[in-house]
Amino acid sequence: MILGRVIGEVWATQKHERLEGAKAMLVARLRRDGIRLVPTGEVVVALDNIGAQTGHIVTVSWGSGARAVFSSPDNRDVLADAAISRIVDGYSVDEAGAGIDVEHTE
Amino acid sequence: MFLARVVGTVWSTVKWRNLDGVKFLVVRPYHLADLAPSLSVKSSGFSAADGVVVADILGAGVGEDVVVAYGHSARMALEPHLGDGQLPTRPVDAAVVAIVDRYEVGVEGEDDPDSSSN
Repeated sequence: MILGRVIGEVWATQKHERLEGAKAMLVARLRRDGIRLVPTGEVVVALDNIGAQTGHIVTVSWGSGARAVFSSPDNRDVLADAAISRIVDGYSVDEAGAGIDVEHTE
Repeated sequence: MFLARVVGTVWSTVKWRNLDGVKFLVVRPYHLADLAPSLSVKSSGFSAADGVVVADILGAGVGEDVVVAYGHSARMALEPHLGDGQLPTRPVDAAVVAIVDRYEVGVEGEDDPDSSSN
């Protein structure tokens, strides 16, 4: 999984039938810089069914982990290789060696 | 998955037999600097170095924006009529799964989102 910030949404009418009804969000991947999280510059498209909105920090799951977010016994896999798996309330960063623990709450 | 602009096509005569009839496109992924310059830590933009070759059965053309999936999702996108338990047969790891009508990028602290459409 990665940490990212939701920066927007994508709409498409022409798409694979197994993506019908799914909401696709633009997520800017984050990395640790000291005790802060900063964008890496990479942007991924992740499906969302938990109601993430622009500005939220989220975790994105990949591969079959992403499909598990959408699977149900009577529903074939959604065609996703990335899905938002949680909306982050807070996080703490331990800056290795410096002994600094910082907690953040969104 | 990622958002990308279609910038070209690829032809080949010698290829794995199951790839006959599958169109291949060259796409360039969007970076944060393209979508939300104010959030980006450094300017990256389109780079010739990061073209990706993707399979397409939706009919995307040069200049359109697409969503590309990797791995299992890409293979299943090319063979939508496979039954449960049947394995995909095409050696592909990236495919177009949607042709983008519109995307919208909102920057925190601004009331009006910076919109873009295609």
